Amino acid sequence: MTFQQKNNTVSLVSFVAITAFFLVRVGQLIADDNFSHQSVVRLWIVVALLAVIATIVAMIFTHSVATAIESVQSGDPDFEIDKTVDERDRRIDLEGTSVTYTVSSLGAFVAMVTYALGNSPLVMFTLLIFFGMMAQIAGDLKRLWSYREV
Amino acid sequence: MKKSMDDYQIINNIRKLRFFHEEMTQKELAQRVGVTRQTIISLEKGKYSPSLELAFKIALVFDMPIGKVFSFDLKETGS
Repeated sequence: MTFQQKNNTVSLVSFVAITAFFLVRVGQLIADDNFSHQSVVRLWIVVALLAVIATIVAMIFTHSVATAIESVQSGDPDFEIDKTVDERDRRIDLEGTSVTYTVSSLGAFVAMVTYALGNSPLVMFTLLIFFGMMAQIAGDLKRLWSYREV
Repeated sequence: MKKSMDDYQIINNIRKLRFFHEEMTQKELAQRVGVTRQTIISLEKGKYSPSLELAFKIALVFDMPIGKVFSFDLKETGS
């Protein structure tokens, strides 16, 4: 597995975990009849903070922990992970970004339609955040799939 | 039957050329042309078509004209 594949895998796992947490919390808020402005905004802030923390932890993992593990496995104390990003990586990244934009555009459209149909702005923004995370997941999945195919 | 452009693909001799250049490893070739070893693996398997720049760099490593390393031939149908 290359450095870029590790990055994508860690990003995918982080965003799946954050999306699951987000969905569970939204479900709880709806079940408790507490889908209010205050609680939903608090949830958005928590999710945004989690995304930032997850990105930092993922970066530390792929740069340090994974290198240390591979160094031990190879038995070479001077082992250095290959962080080269070449034209194939850039092409695959572009394909992933394209999927991310498509899903997020679709999400924005769905969110606006729900608002146009008379739902509260809270529903619209919750959907926007949900589709934002789904877009990231879809992009990472596309990248990982492309690494297997190309 | 007339062949369309889709029936053609880029074929390369990288694996053979590596062998004839003192069994150069994929890693060494990758380092010399500035790509990852996975890209060389994909090229050899015919899964990835390189940019013109990368193709020239690979030809330069083997000190050969680009046409001797890459060709545009009919796809193998498997039959």
